[in-house]
Amino acid sequence: MSQNNMLAMILAGGRGSRLKDLTNKVAKPAVSYGGKYRIIDFPLSNCANSGINVVGVLTQYESVLLNSYVAQGRRWGLDSNGSGVFVLPPREKADADLDVYRGTADAISQNIDFIDSYDPEYLLILSGDHIYKMNYDDMLTFHKEHNADATIAVIGVPMKEASRFGIMNTDENGKIVEFEEKPAEPKSNLASMGIYIFNWKLLRRMLLADMKNPDSSHDFGKDIIPTLLNEGKSLWAYQFKGYWKDVGTIDSLWEANMDLLDDNSGLNLEDPSWKIYTEDASALPQYIGPDAHIKTAFITQGCKIDGEVTRSVLFTGSVVKKGAKVTDTVLMPGAVVEEGAVVTRALVANNVRIGAKAIVGDAKSENITLVAKNVKGEE
Amino acid sequence: MATAFGIITSSANHIKVAGMQDYRPMGAFSFAGRYRVIDFPISNMSNSGIDNIQVYVRENPRSLAEHLGNEGAFNINSKKGKLQLLFSDNSTANDVYNTDVAGFAENMNIIARKPQEYVIIAPSYMVYTQNYNELLEQHIASGADVTLLYQHVNNAKESYLHCDTLNLNKQKGVLAIERNTGTANSKNIFMDTYVMKKDLFISLIRDAQKMSSIYTLSQIINSEVNDLDVRGVLHRGYFATVTDFKSYFEANLDLIDVDNASSLFNENWPIYTVTSDAAPTKYYEQADVKNSLVSNGCSIKGIVENSVIGRGVTIEDGAVVKNSVILAYSRIGKDVHIENQVVDKWAQIIHAKEIIGTPDKPGYVKRDDIL
Repeated sequence: MSQNNMLAMILAGGRGSRLKDLTNKVAKPAVSYGGKYRIIDFPLSNCANSGINVVGVLTQYESVLLNSYVAQGRRWGLDSNGSGVFVLPPREKADADLDVYRGTADAISQNIDFIDSYDPEYLLILSGDHIYKMNYDDMLTFHKEHNADATIAVIGVPMKEASRFGIMNTDENGKIVEFEEKPAEPKSNLASMGIYIFNWKLLRRMLLADMKNPDSSHDFGKDIIPTLLNEGKSLWAYQFKGYWKDVGTIDSLWEANMDLLDDNSGLNLEDPSWKIYTEDASALPQYIGPDAHIKTAFITQGCKIDGEVTRSVLFTGSVVKKGAKVTDTVLMPGAVVEEGAVVTRALVANNVRIGAKAIVGDAKSENITLVAKNVKGEE
Repeated sequence: MATAFGIITSSANHIKVAGMQDYRPMGAFSFAGRYRVIDFPISNMSNSGIDNIQVYVRENPRSLAEHLGNEGAFNINSKKGKLQLLFSDNSTANDVYNTDVAGFAENMNIIARKPQEYVIIAPSYMVYTQNYNELLEQHIASGADVTLLYQHVNNAKESYLHCDTLNLNKQKGVLAIERNTGTANSKNIFMDTYVMKKDLFISLIRDAQKMSSIYTLSQIINSEVNDLDVRGVLHRGYFATVTDFKSYFEANLDLIDVDNASSLFNENWPIYTVTSDAAPTKYYEQADVKNSLVSNGCSIKGIVENSVIGRGVTIEDGAVVKNSVILAYSRIGKDVHIENQVVDKWAQIIHAKEIIGTPDKPGYVKRDDIL
């Protein structure tokens, strides 16, 4: 256990069904992002960089790939003695049948024994599907300074979008007085980021009671936080300033990738003091051919480009052949754009092949075109 | 199945790469952007199931020790496998004493204790892929005492001048191992790669020491070529030597050619290296990159042609980089024009506006230098 005595649990069981075909066979946290990463690399790297060295990952939906991916703690430097990344899918127990995680809080409740084995003072709850860089140790300092029972990270969102989020209403010092899930008429724009620090002893007690409550949906936002507020506990909002994105839809996943092209987006993956770690793909450097034209792009190793690439993000091993045009597009790992094909405003899924001279996507479309199946071309 | 351990040798004392070698041994030279030269022999061994590997180091071991400290990166079994760095005392009195045989002799006890029956010896300063398991099987099937790997080339008059050649009879028996003197274009270049039984290897080291302090492994084999069954095996596919500055420069640029690259890099034969956790590379609106190999972590605003760009390189607005090898973390400043250069790590070219070499005489910019 690290010096800060805080253990992290990442909720990574959701399907993310709004990502459509991208999550048919993998859970959302394992979806690729930013050329070489997976979404869950962000909370895991944040943990590693914040000095947290025991991380439980709660998996459920299509967990095979995710389990084997996170089990290799070495990728994030979470592999020294006493540290590790622990995969925690639902399991059968001596006193309970195998059951699914019924909600975010239930996922933690079912692993109380795991957490107890490390005897942490604080428990950090994270979600496995957001893109952001955050120092959780700073948040813990805030939590201790305010003598809080629980601290919730919040981020200011545009007022007109506030009704899409769980909103924290605070007093002038930042103490939470009210929590409203997706309020029709929001009173504040401080949205919960789904990041909580709890004093473990208190949370443990709450969870044991929640497990027995037949009316509970076993959810942190719907059940645990309101109960804590009702009981008059001291809950504080920790305001995060920086880049944060929920990549819940094809459009928002595309946007979060496009943000990497903008030096002013607030997300800098090159900062040597806060690197995002990931699997190291064995791949050649980027091969840029004699006929390539690349303008404003984010490209990773293993790509082969001999066509035109504009305002696009290319993932490991993607290929753009001669005469092809890729514009405002995300090519996921292994995607291939054959000669003369034109791809515009699209997100091309892993290993999908766009045939020669095929035309995909539309510069004027409102939504991003998801290409999840091979597209036939002239061959 | 017969088992072998691996030995990766450092370059012979007559091989020098001006500039670069002041900072690190050849095995640690950056290659094709994200690799080091030694990644190739180690990956060849690792992919062949050889996971007991000795690496001999003579000078400036820091970068090599740091790189190879990441044993896991090379897919070597963490329990059964071993990647050993073996140092040999460098004679300062006279470089002629610093032979491969001297290094082996100093570590003789460690070699003798190896349980494997065979040894495969490969150089840290040559780039090729080879399945050593197949080579070992071929060696055993042939009944030879020593198998040497070679490549047939047609440009030996101007290239490979520091290498040895094999003089072969029609049955691929080795008649002699001789230095390439550049007398003919068609030559069998010895790839400094050997297969033999460990016991024979040990006795050859002892023979060499008896003969002369300056004898190398290839010289003692050459002198015993009539008593031993020494055979050559032809290697096909990409082969490059890093035996002088020009060959280093050319070998890097060779890999821009997609045919060469695909002959060296094969999905089923991964080349391992140590990750730097760099983000992907950012190409800006004004960037224009053609015919180049680019590593991750770069920021490119200028023009790049026919070049190999290492990790984390910055190429600023209006800069022009042609026919050059830029090593990691260097910076080519605004409006700087460079051609036919090797720019070593962490160098910054910001004051000099133009540094132009020729393909025959490429220039070198020192590590950490500010020009």
